[in-house]
Amino acid sequence: MTARMVKVIAANTFKEAVRDRVLYLLLFFAAAAILLSRVLALLTVGDRMKIVKDVGLSAISIFGALMAILIGTGLVYKEIEKRTIFTLISKPIHRFEFLLGKYLGLILTLAVMLTSMGLIFLGLVLVETGVFEGRILLALVYVFFELLLVTAVAILFSCFSTPILSSLFSLGFYLIGHFSWSLEALAKKVRPGPGRTLLGVLSAVLPDLENFNIRTEVVHALPLPAAHLAYAAAYGILYAAFVLTLAVLIFRRRDFV
Amino acid sequence: MKKTLALVLVLCGLAASFSGLELRMRTMPRRKVPGAGILYIPSGKYLKYATFGFSTLIADVVYLWAIQYYGNEEIADRYDSLLHIFGIISELDPRYVDAYEVGALIAAGDMQDLGLALKIFDLGFAKNPSQWIFPFEAGHYAALAKDFPTARAYFKKAMDIPGAPAIAKRLYADTSFKAMDLRTSWETWLEVYNTAADEQIKKIASNHLYQVKAAADIGALKAAAAKFKAASGRFPSGPDEILRAGLLPSIPKDYDGADYLYDPATGEFKTAVIPWKR
Repeated sequence: MTARMVKVIAANTFKEAVRDRVLYLLLFFAAAAILLSRVLALLTVGDRMKIVKDVGLSAISIFGALMAILIGTGLVYKEIEKRTIFTLISKPIHRFEFLLGKYLGLILTLAVMLTSMGLIFLGLVLVETGVFEGRILLALVYVFFELLLVTAVAILFSCFSTPILSSLFSLGFYLIGHFSWSLEALAKKVRPGPGRTLLGVLSAVLPDLENFNIRTEVVHALPLPAAHLAYAAAYGILYAAFVLTLAVLIFRRRDFV
Repeated sequence: MKKTLALVLVLCGLAASFSGLELRMRTMPRRKVPGAGILYIPSGKYLKYATFGFSTLIADVVYLWAIQYYGNEEIADRYDSLLHIFGIISELDPRYVDAYEVGALIAAGDMQDLGLALKIFDLGFAKNPSQWIFPFEAGHYAALAKDFPTARAYFKKAMDIPGAPAIAKRLYADTSFKAMDLRTSWETWLEVYNTAADEQIKKIASNHLYQVKAAADIGALKAAAAKFKAASGRFPSGPDEILRAGLLPSIPKDYDGADYLYDPATGEFKTAVIPWKR
Protein backbone atom coordinates (compact mmCIF):
# COMPACT_ATOMS: atom_id res chain seq x y z
CA MET A 1 0.00 0.00 0.00
CA THR A 2 2.70 2.45 1.07
CA ALA A 3 4.92 1.93 -1.96
CA ARG A 4 1.96 2.25 -4.33
CA MET A 5 0.79 5.46 -2.64
CA VAL A 6 4.24 6.95 -2.78
CA LYS A 7 4.57 5.96 -6.44
CA VAL A 8 1.24 7.57 -7.34
CA ILE A 9 2.09 10.82 -5.56
CA ALA A 10 5.61 10.82 -7.06
CA ALA A 11 4.19 10.32 -10.57
CA ASN A 12 1.71 13.16 -10.06
CA THR A 13 4.40 15.42 -8.65
CA PHE A 14 6.60 14.66 -11.66
CA LYS A 15 3.75 15.47 -14.07
CA GLU A 16 3.05 18.68 -12.19
CA ALA A 17 6.71 19.71 -12.03
CA VAL A 18 7.46 19.15 -15.71
CA ARG A 19 4.59 21.50 -16.57
CA ASP A 20 6.22 24.30 -14.60
CA ARG A 21 7.59 26.96 -16.97
CA VAL A 22 10.23 28.02 -14.44
CA LEU A 23 11.91 24.67 -14.97
CA TYR A 24 12.33 25.28 -18.70
CA LEU A 25 13.49 28.83 -18.15
CA LEU A 26 16.21 27.55 -15.84
CA LEU A 27 17.08 24.78 -18.28
CA PHE A 28 17.41 27.38 -21.04
CA PHE A 29 19.75 29.52 -18.93
CA ALA A 30 21.75 26.47 -17.88
CA ALA A 31 22.18 25.43 -21.52
CA ALA A 32 23.15 29.00 -22.43
CA ALA A 33 25.73 29.09 -19.61
CA ILE A 34 27.18 25.73 -20.69
CA LEU A 35 27.47 26.85 -24.30
CA LEU A 36 28.78 30.28 -23.35
CA SER A 37 31.62 28.60 -21.47
CA ARG A 38 33.11 28.00 -24.93
CA VAL A 39 33.09 31.75 -25.59
CA LEU A 40 34.51 32.45 -22.14
CA ALA A 41 37.31 30.00 -22.83
CA LEU A 42 38.40 32.18 -25.75
CA LEU A 43 39.31 34.92 -23.28
CA THR A 44 41.79 32.83 -21.34
CA VAL A 45 45.44 32.08 -21.86
CA GLY A 46 46.33 28.41 -21.56
CA ASP A 47 44.06 25.39 -21.28
CA ARG A 48 40.68 26.39 -22.74
CA MET A 49 39.03 23.07 -22.02
CA LYS A 50 39.64 23.60 -18.31
CA ILE A 51 37.47 26.71 -18.46
CA VAL A 52 34.80 24.93 -20.48
CA LYS A 53 34.66 22.01 -18.04
CA ASP A 54 34.75 24.09 -14.91
CA VAL A 55 32.15 26.63 -16.04
CA GLY A 56 29.92 23.90 -17.49
CA LEU A 57 29.97 21.72 -14.36
CA SER A 58 29.46 24.74 -12.10
CA ALA A 59 26.50 25.91 -14.22
CA ILE A 60 24.90 22.46 -13.96
CA SER A 61 25.39 22.44 -10.19
CA ILE A 62 24.03 25.97 -9.66
CA PHE A 63 21.06 25.69 -12.00
CA GLY A 64 20.25 22.23 -10.64
CA ALA A 65 20.15 23.66 -7.12
CA LEU A 66 17.97 26.56 -8.32
CA MET A 67 15.54 24.10 -9.90
CA ALA A 68 15.39 22.08 -6.69
CA ILE A 69 14.81 25.18 -4.59
CA LEU A 70 12.34 27.03 -6.83
CA ILE A 71 10.18 23.98 -7.53
CA GLY A 72 10.67 22.24 -4.18
CA THR A 73 9.71 25.19 -2.00
CA GLY A 74 6.29 25.43 -3.63
CA LEU A 75 5.43 21.74 -3.68
CA VAL A 76 3.78 21.32 -0.28
CA TYR A 77 2.78 24.96 0.09
CA LYS A 78 0.76 24.87 -3.14
CA GLU A 79 -1.23 21.89 -1.90
CA ILE A 80 -2.07 23.77 1.27
CA GLU A 81 -2.76 27.05 -0.54
CA LYS A 82 -5.08 25.39 -3.09
CA ARG A 83 -6.62 23.28 -0.30
CA THR A 84 -6.04 20.08 -2.27
CA ILE A 85 -4.26 18.81 0.82
CA PHE A 86 -7.63 18.40 2.53
CA THR A 87 -8.78 15.98 -0.15
CA LEU A 88 -5.52 14.05 0.05
CA ILE A 89 -5.37 13.85 3.83
CA SER A 90 -8.93 12.57 4.00
CA LYS A 91 -7.79 9.52 1.99
CA PRO A 92 -6.12 6.53 3.64
CA ILE A 93 -2.68 8.02 3.18
CA HIS A 94 0.02 8.73 5.72
CA ARG A 95 1.60 12.14 5.81
CA PHE A 96 5.07 10.69 5.42
CA GLU A 97 3.88 8.92 2.24
CA PHE A 98 2.69 12.25 0.93
CA LEU A 99 6.02 13.96 1.66
CA LEU A 100 8.09 11.06 0.37
CA GLY A 101 6.04 10.96 -2.84
CA LYS A 102 6.52 14.69 -3.34
CA TYR A 103 10.23 14.31 -2.71
CA LEU A 104 10.71 11.39 -5.09
CA GLY A 105 8.62 13.09 -7.78
CA LEU A 106 10.84 16.14 -7.66
CA ILE A 107 13.98 14.01 -7.57
CA LEU A 108 12.79 12.28 -10.74
CA THR A 109 12.21 15.66 -12.38
CA LEU A 110 15.66 16.82 -11.37
CA ALA A 111 17.21 13.62 -12.65
CA VAL A 112 15.64 14.29 -16.06
CA MET A 113 16.84 17.89 -16.03
CA LEU A 114 20.32 16.89 -14.90
CA THR A 115 20.48 14.33 -17.69
CA SER A 116 19.44 17.00 -20.22
CA MET A 117 22.06 19.45 -19.00
CA GLY A 118 24.64 16.68 -18.80
CA LEU A 119 23.99 15.61 -22.39
CA ILE A 120 24.41 19.17 -23.66
CA PHE A 121 27.63 19.50 -21.69
CA LEU A 122 29.04 16.12 -22.71
CA GLY A 123 28.16 16.95 -26.31
CA LEU A 124 30.07 20.20 -26.10
CA VAL A 125 33.12 18.49 -24.56
CA LEU A 126 32.93 15.76 -27.19
CA VAL A 127 32.80 18.30 -30.03
CA GLU A 128 35.72 20.26 -28.56
CA THR A 129 38.03 17.39 -27.65
CA GLY A 130 36.78 14.49 -29.73
CA VAL A 131 36.92 12.35 -26.58
CA PHE A 132 34.09 11.07 -24.40
CA GLU A 133 35.12 11.87 -20.84
CA GLY A 134 33.52 9.37 -18.49
CA ARG A 135 34.74 11.16 -15.36
CA ILE A 136 32.37 14.02 -16.16
CA LEU A 137 29.52 11.56 -15.55
CA LEU A 138 30.94 10.91 -12.10
CA ALA A 139 30.94 14.65 -11.35
CA LEU A 140 27.30 14.78 -12.50
CA VAL A 141 26.40 11.88 -10.21
CA TYR A 142 27.76 13.84 -7.26
CA VAL A 143 25.87 16.94 -8.35
CA PHE A 144 22.82 14.68 -8.13
CA PHE A 145 23.72 13.66 -4.56
CA GLU A 146 23.94 17.34 -3.71
CA LEU A 147 20.51 17.89 -5.24
CA LEU A 148 19.10 15.04 -3.11
CA LEU A 149 19.98 17.06 -0.04
CA VAL A 150 18.97 20.49 -1.38
CA THR A 151 15.59 19.12 -2.48
CA ALA A 152 14.95 17.63 0.98
CA VAL A 153 15.73 21.01 2.53
CA ALA A 154 13.41 22.83 0.09
CA ILE A 155 10.59 20.44 1.00
CA LEU A 156 11.31 20.84 4.72
CA PHE A 157 10.89 24.63 4.49
CA SER A 158 7.89 24.22 2.22
CA CYS A 159 6.12 22.38 5.08
CA PHE A 160 5.87 25.44 7.29
CA SER A 161 6.71 28.52 5.27
CA THR A 162 5.78 30.50 2.15
CA PRO A 163 7.63 29.77 -1.12
CA ILE A 164 9.52 33.08 -1.01
CA LEU A 165 10.79 32.56 2.51
CA SER A 166 11.46 28.90 1.85
CA SER A 167 13.51 29.84 -1.23
CA LEU A 168 15.55 32.28 0.83
CA PHE A 169 16.10 29.72 3.60
CA SER A 170 17.06 27.04 1.09
CA LEU A 171 19.46 29.37 -0.70
CA GLY A 172 20.96 30.18 2.69
CA PHE A 173 21.35 26.47 3.34
CA TYR A 174 23.06 26.07 -0.05
CA LEU A 175 25.48 28.91 0.66
CA ILE A 176 26.22 27.70 4.19
CA GLY A 177 26.77 24.23 2.77
CA HIS A 178 29.45 25.52 0.44
CA PHE A 179 31.19 27.65 3.05
CA SER A 180 30.91 25.44 6.14
CA TRP A 181 34.48 24.24 5.62
CA SER A 182 35.58 27.69 6.76
CA LEU A 183 34.21 26.89 10.24
CA GLU A 184 36.69 24.06 10.49
CA ALA A 185 39.50 26.38 9.39
CA LEU A 186 38.32 28.96 11.92
CA ALA A 187 38.17 26.35 14.69
CA LYS A 188 41.84 25.56 14.10
CA LYS A 189 42.74 29.21 14.68
CA VAL A 190 40.68 29.58 17.86
CA ARG A 191 42.29 28.73 21.19
CA PRO A 192 41.11 25.46 22.78
CA GLY A 193 38.00 26.05 24.87
CA PRO A 194 34.22 26.35 24.55
CA GLY A 195 34.47 28.54 21.41
CA ARG A 196 36.55 25.96 19.62
CA THR A 197 34.27 23.13 20.73
CA LEU A 198 31.22 25.03 19.51
CA LEU A 199 32.84 25.68 16.13
CA GLY A 200 33.83 22.02 15.90
CA VAL A 201 30.28 20.85 16.63
CA LEU A 202 28.80 23.36 14.17
CA SER A 203 31.16 22.31 11.40
CA ALA A 204 30.26 18.63 11.98
CA VAL A 205 26.51 19.22 12.07
CA LEU A 206 26.06 21.91 9.43
CA PRO A 207 25.83 20.58 5.87
CA ASP A 208 29.09 20.29 3.99
CA LEU A 209 28.11 20.39 0.32
CA GLU A 210 31.77 20.52 -0.66
CA ASN A 211 31.80 16.78 -0.03
CA PHE A 212 29.95 16.44 -3.33
CA ASN A 213 32.23 18.83 -5.17
CA ILE A 214 34.63 16.65 -7.12
CA ARG A 215 34.86 19.08 -10.02
CA THR A 216 38.50 19.98 -9.33
CA GLU A 217 39.54 16.33 -9.39
CA VAL A 218 37.55 15.68 -12.57
CA VAL A 219 38.80 18.76 -14.42
CA HIS A 220 42.43 18.22 -13.42
CA ALA A 221 42.28 14.43 -13.83
CA LEU A 222 43.32 13.90 -10.20
CA PRO A 223 42.80 10.58 -8.43
CA LEU A 224 39.54 10.26 -6.52
CA PRO A 225 39.69 8.03 -3.44
CA ALA A 226 36.97 5.39 -3.65
CA ALA A 227 36.40 5.68 0.10
CA HIS A 228 35.65 9.38 -0.24
CA LEU A 229 33.17 8.74 -3.02
CA ALA A 230 31.42 6.07 -0.96
CA TYR A 231 31.33 8.20 2.20
CA ALA A 232 30.14 11.27 0.30
CA ALA A 233 27.26 9.31 -1.27
CA ALA A 234 26.28 7.86 2.13
CA TYR A 235 26.57 11.32 3.68
CA GLY A 236 24.19 12.78 1.07
CA ILE A 237 21.62 10.04 1.55
CA LEU A 238 21.76 10.09 5.35
CA TYR A 239 21.61 13.89 5.57
CA ALA A 240 18.66 13.97 3.14
CA ALA A 241 16.94 11.26 5.25
CA PHE A 242 17.55 13.37 8.37
CA VAL A 243 16.03 16.48 6.76
CA LEU A 244 13.05 14.52 5.42
CA THR A 245 12.44 12.97 8.85
CA LEU A 246 12.47 16.46 10.32
CA ALA A 247 10.01 17.53 7.61
CA VAL A 248 7.73 14.61 8.48
CA LEU A 249 7.93 15.51 12.16
CA ILE A 250 6.86 19.10 11.42
CA PHE A 251 4.25 18.13 8.81
CA ARG A 252 2.64 15.64 11.20
CA ARG A 253 1.96 18.42 13.68
CA ARG A 254 0.17 20.62 11.17
CA ASP A 255 -3.57 20.82 11.61
CA PHE A 256 -5.52 20.49 8.35
CA VAL A 257 -8.95 19.86 9.89
CA MET B 1 3.41 10.45 21.14
CA LYS B 2 5.26 7.18 20.64
CA LYS B 3 5.59 7.88 16.91
CA THR B 4 6.98 11.33 17.61
CA LEU B 5 9.50 9.89 20.04
CA ALA B 6 10.49 7.28 17.49
CA LEU B 7 10.96 9.97 14.84
CA VAL B 8 13.10 12.05 17.21
CA LEU B 9 15.24 8.98 17.88
CA VAL B 10 15.58 8.37 14.15
CA LEU B 11 16.61 12.01 13.74
CA CYS B 12 19.27 11.67 16.42
CA GLY B 13 20.56 8.48 14.83
CA LEU B 14 20.74 10.05 11.39
CA ALA B 15 22.45 13.18 12.75
CA ALA B 16 25.04 11.04 14.53
CA SER B 17 25.59 9.02 11.33
CA PHE B 18 26.14 11.93 8.96
CA SER B 19 28.25 13.83 11.51
CA GLY B 20 30.42 10.75 11.91
CA LEU B 21 30.78 10.46 8.15
CA GLU B 22 31.65 14.13 7.87
CA LEU B 23 34.39 13.78 10.49
CA ARG B 24 35.68 10.64 8.80
CA MET B 25 35.83 12.34 5.40
CA ARG B 26 37.87 15.20 6.82
CA THR B 27 40.69 12.83 7.62
CA MET B 28 40.86 11.66 4.00
CA PRO B 29 43.46 13.41 1.89
CA ARG B 30 42.04 14.90 -1.30
CA ARG B 31 44.48 16.16 -3.83
CA LYS B 32 43.67 19.66 -4.83
CA VAL B 33 45.18 22.06 -7.30
CA PRO B 34 45.99 24.97 -5.01
CA GLY B 35 45.03 28.28 -6.51
CA ALA B 36 43.33 26.72 -9.52
CA GLY B 37 40.44 29.14 -9.21
CA ILE B 38 42.64 32.14 -9.87
CA LEU B 39 42.26 31.61 -13.59
CA TYR B 40 38.71 32.85 -13.50
CA ILE B 41 39.15 36.13 -11.73
CA PRO B 42 38.32 38.80 -14.28
CA SER B 43 39.44 42.39 -14.32
CA GLY B 44 38.15 44.43 -11.40
CA LYS B 45 36.64 46.96 -13.79
CA TYR B 46 34.25 44.38 -15.16
CA LEU B 47 33.77 42.59 -11.87
CA LYS B 48 32.52 45.83 -10.33
CA TYR B 49 29.48 45.80 -12.61
CA ALA B 50 28.64 42.29 -11.48
CA THR B 51 28.61 43.15 -7.77
CA PHE B 52 25.23 44.94 -7.89
CA GLY B 53 26.37 47.73 -5.63
CA PHE B 54 28.18 45.46 -3.17
CA SER B 55 31.62 46.19 -4.58
CA THR B 56 33.15 47.02 -1.18
CA LEU B 57 31.79 43.78 0.26
CA ILE B 58 33.24 41.81 -2.64
CA ALA B 59 36.51 43.71 -2.16
CA ASP B 60 36.54 42.48 1.46
CA VAL B 61 35.92 38.93 0.32
CA VAL B 62 38.67 39.06 -2.33
CA TYR B 63 41.02 40.67 0.22
CA LEU B 64 40.37 37.97 2.83
CA TRP B 65 40.78 35.31 0.21
CA ALA B 66 44.01 36.92 -1.05
CA ILE B 67 45.51 36.84 2.44
CA GLN B 68 44.83 33.10 2.65
CA TYR B 69 46.04 32.60 -0.93
CA TYR B 70 49.38 34.30 -0.35
CA GLY B 71 49.83 32.48 2.93
CA ASN B 72 49.61 29.14 1.14
CA GLU B 73 53.13 28.01 0.36
CA GLU B 74 51.85 25.10 -1.70
CA ILE B 75 51.03 27.49 -4.54
CA ALA B 76 54.42 27.90 -6.09
CA ASP B 77 53.39 30.47 -8.68
CA ARG B 78 51.13 32.52 -6.41
CA TYR B 79 53.18 35.66 -6.86
CA ASP B 80 52.60 35.78 -10.63
CA SER B 81 49.19 37.35 -10.16
CA LEU B 82 49.83 39.66 -7.21
CA LEU B 83 49.28 42.90 -9.12
CA HIS B 84 46.20 41.46 -10.84
CA ILE B 85 44.58 40.41 -7.56
CA PHE B 86 45.33 43.59 -5.67
CA GLY B 87 44.39 45.55 -8.79
CA ILE B 88 40.95 43.92 -8.56
CA ILE B 89 40.59 44.97 -4.93
CA SER B 90 41.62 48.51 -5.83
CA GLU B 91 39.00 48.64 -8.58
CA LEU B 92 36.28 47.30 -6.30
CA ASP B 93 37.19 49.50 -3.34
CA PRO B 94 39.71 52.18 -4.31
CA ARG B 95 39.91 53.45 -0.71
CA TYR B 96 40.93 50.13 0.78
CA VAL B 97 44.26 51.28 2.22
CA ASP B 98 45.04 47.99 3.99
CA ALA B 99 44.87 46.08 0.74
CA TYR B 100 47.51 48.28 -0.94
CA GLU B 101 49.73 48.06 2.12
CA VAL B 102 49.48 44.28 2.37
CA GLY B 103 49.99 43.87 -1.39
CA ALA B 104 53.12 46.03 -1.25
CA LEU B 105 54.36 44.17 1.83
CA ILE B 106 54.05 40.84 0.02
CA ALA B 107 55.81 42.28 -3.05
CA ALA B 108 58.69 43.80 -1.09
CA GLY B 109 58.95 41.18 1.64
CA ASP B 110 58.17 37.79 0.12
CA MET B 111 58.98 38.58 -3.50
CA GLN B 112 61.84 41.03 -2.88
CA ASP B 113 60.43 43.09 -5.74
CA LEU B 114 60.66 46.75 -4.76
CA GLY B 115 59.45 47.87 -8.18
CA LEU B 116 56.21 45.93 -7.80
CA ALA B 117 55.69 47.21 -4.25
CA LEU B 118 56.10 50.78 -5.48
CA LYS B 119 53.72 50.07 -8.36
CA ILE B 120 51.05 48.98 -5.86
CA PHE B 121 51.60 52.12 -3.78
CA ASP B 122 51.43 54.22 -6.96
CA LEU B 123 48.12 52.54 -7.76
CA GLY B 124 46.80 53.45 -4.32
CA PHE B 125 48.06 57.00 -4.62
CA ALA B 126 46.58 57.43 -8.11
CA LYS B 127 43.18 56.45 -6.72
CA ASN B 128 43.59 58.36 -3.44
CA PRO B 129 45.61 61.51 -4.18
CA SER B 130 44.79 62.96 -0.77
CA GLN B 131 46.24 59.98 1.15
CA TRP B 132 49.81 60.80 2.17
CA ILE B 133 50.27 57.28 3.53
CA PHE B 134 50.96 55.81 0.06
CA PRO B 135 53.99 57.93 -0.91
CA PHE B 136 55.07 57.91 2.73
CA GLU B 137 55.15 54.10 2.89
CA ALA B 138 56.67 53.89 -0.59
CA GLY B 139 59.44 56.22 0.59
CA HIS B 140 60.15 53.92 3.54
CA TYR B 141 60.32 50.85 1.30
CA ALA B 142 62.70 52.60 -1.12
CA ALA B 143 64.84 53.88 1.76
CA LEU B 144 65.08 50.38 3.26
CA ALA B 145 66.30 49.18 -0.14
CA LYS B 146 68.82 52.07 -0.07
CA ASP B 147 67.31 53.62 -3.18
CA PHE B 148 67.55 57.11 -1.72
CA PRO B 149 66.78 59.18 -4.87
CA THR B 150 63.47 57.26 -5.22
CA ALA B 151 62.80 57.49 -1.49
CA ARG B 152 63.25 61.27 -1.40
CA ALA B 153 60.95 61.70 -4.39
CA TYR B 154 58.20 59.79 -2.50
CA PHE B 155 58.79 61.67 0.75
CA LYS B 156 58.55 64.93 -1.20
CA LYS B 157 55.16 63.83 -2.53
CA ALA B 158 54.02 62.83 0.97
CA MET B 159 55.10 66.03 2.70
CA ASP B 160 53.30 68.17 0.13
CA ILE B 161 49.94 66.55 0.93
CA PRO B 162 47.87 68.43 3.52
CA GLY B 163 47.64 66.45 6.75
CA ALA B 164 50.92 64.60 6.25
CA PRO B 165 52.87 64.12 9.49
CA ALA B 166 55.80 66.46 10.12
CA ILE B 167 58.20 63.53 10.00
CA ALA B 168 57.65 63.29 6.22
CA LYS B 169 59.62 66.53 5.75
CA ARG B 170 62.41 65.30 8.01
CA LEU B 171 62.60 62.03 6.08
CA TYR B 172 62.74 64.02 2.86
CA ALA B 173 65.64 66.05 4.25
CA ASP B 174 67.42 62.92 5.46
CA THR B 175 67.03 60.98 2.21
CA SER B 176 68.12 64.05 0.25
CA PHE B 177 71.30 63.99 2.33
CA LYS B 178 71.77 60.29 1.64
CA ALA B 179 71.15 60.91 -2.06
CA MET B 180 73.94 63.52 -1.80
CA ASP B 181 71.68 66.48 -2.59
CA LEU B 182 73.27 68.50 0.21
CA ARG B 183 71.76 71.86 -0.75
CA THR B 184 68.18 70.55 -0.64
CA SER B 185 68.90 68.66 2.56
CA TRP B 186 70.38 71.79 4.20
CA GLU B 187 67.48 73.99 3.14
CA THR B 188 64.90 71.49 4.34
CA TRP B 189 66.57 70.88 7.69
CA LEU B 190 66.87 74.64 8.14
CA GLU B 191 63.17 74.99 7.49
CA VAL B 192 62.46 72.20 9.99
CA TYR B 193 64.70 73.93 12.53
CA ASN B 194 63.04 77.30 12.07
CA THR B 195 59.50 75.96 12.26
CA ALA B 196 60.02 73.28 14.94
CA ALA B 197 57.34 73.37 17.61
CA ASP B 198 59.41 71.72 20.33
CA GLU B 199 62.99 71.62 21.49
CA GLN B 200 63.53 67.97 20.69
CA ILE B 201 62.79 68.46 17.00
CA LYS B 202 64.94 71.59 17.01
CA LYS B 203 67.80 69.53 18.46
CA ILE B 204 67.33 66.79 15.86
CA ALA B 205 67.31 69.38 13.04
CA SER B 206 70.36 71.05 14.52
CA ASN B 207 72.27 67.76 14.56
CA HIS B 208 71.33 67.13 10.95
CA LEU B 209 72.34 70.64 9.95
CA TYR B 210 75.69 69.96 11.61
CA GLN B 211 75.99 66.72 9.66
CA VAL B 212 75.05 68.26 6.29
CA LYS B 213 77.39 71.23 6.74
CA ALA B 214 80.20 68.90 7.82
CA ALA B 215 79.68 66.69 4.77
CA ALA B 216 79.81 69.72 2.43
CA ASP B 217 82.81 71.30 4.19
CA ILE B 218 84.81 68.08 4.51
CA GLY B 219 84.13 67.35 0.85
CA ALA B 220 85.56 70.74 -0.14
CA LEU B 221 88.54 70.42 2.23
CA LYS B 222 89.39 66.93 1.00
CA ALA B 223 89.19 68.04 -2.62
CA ALA B 224 91.53 70.96 -1.85
CA ALA B 225 93.96 68.64 -0.03
CA ALA B 226 93.94 66.28 -3.00
CA LYS B 227 94.69 69.20 -5.39
CA PHE B 228 97.53 70.30 -3.11
CA LYS B 229 99.01 66.80 -3.20
CA ALA B 230 98.72 66.68 -6.98
CA ALA B 231 100.71 69.96 -7.24
CA SER B 232 103.34 69.40 -4.55
CA GLY B 233 103.49 65.63 -4.12
CA ARG B 234 102.42 65.69 -0.47
CA PHE B 235 99.37 66.50 1.63
CA PRO B 236 99.31 69.97 3.20
CA SER B 237 100.73 70.16 6.74
CA GLY B 238 97.53 71.89 7.93
CA PRO B 239 94.46 73.77 6.73
CA ASP B 240 96.43 77.04 6.74
CA GLU B 241 98.65 75.70 3.94
CA ILE B 242 95.53 75.11 1.80
CA LEU B 243 94.51 78.70 2.42
CA ARG B 244 98.00 80.02 1.57
CA ALA B 245 98.03 77.99 -1.65
CA GLY B 246 94.78 79.78 -2.62
CA LEU B 247 92.86 76.53 -3.01
CA LEU B 248 90.00 77.78 -0.79
CA PRO B 249 88.89 81.36 -0.05
CA SER B 250 88.60 80.50 3.67
CA ILE B 251 88.86 77.47 5.94
CA PRO B 252 85.36 76.42 6.90
CA LYS B 253 84.43 75.70 10.52
CA ASP B 254 81.79 73.25 11.69
CA TYR B 255 78.19 74.20 12.56
CA ASP B 256 79.23 74.98 16.12
CA GLY B 257 82.16 77.17 14.98
CA ALA B 258 84.84 74.59 15.85
CA ASP B 259 87.70 73.51 13.58
CA TYR B 260 87.62 70.20 11.74
CA LEU B 261 90.25 67.68 12.73
CA TYR B 262 92.94 67.07 10.09
CA ASP B 263 95.39 64.17 9.59
CA PRO B 264 98.34 65.39 7.41
CA ALA B 265 99.47 61.79 6.79
CA THR B 266 96.26 60.81 4.97
CA GLY B 267 94.75 64.18 3.99
CA GLU B 268 91.56 63.20 5.82
CA PHE B 269 89.29 65.69 7.64
CA LYS B 270 86.70 64.78 10.25
CA THR B 271 84.46 66.46 12.77
CA ALA B 272 85.65 67.00 16.31
CA VAL B 273 82.40 65.54 17.72
CA ILE B 274 79.91 62.92 16.63
CA PRO B 275 76.84 64.90 15.38
CA TRP B 276 74.43 62.90 17.63
CA LYS B 277 76.53 63.52 20.75
CA ARG B 278 76.83 67.29 20.49
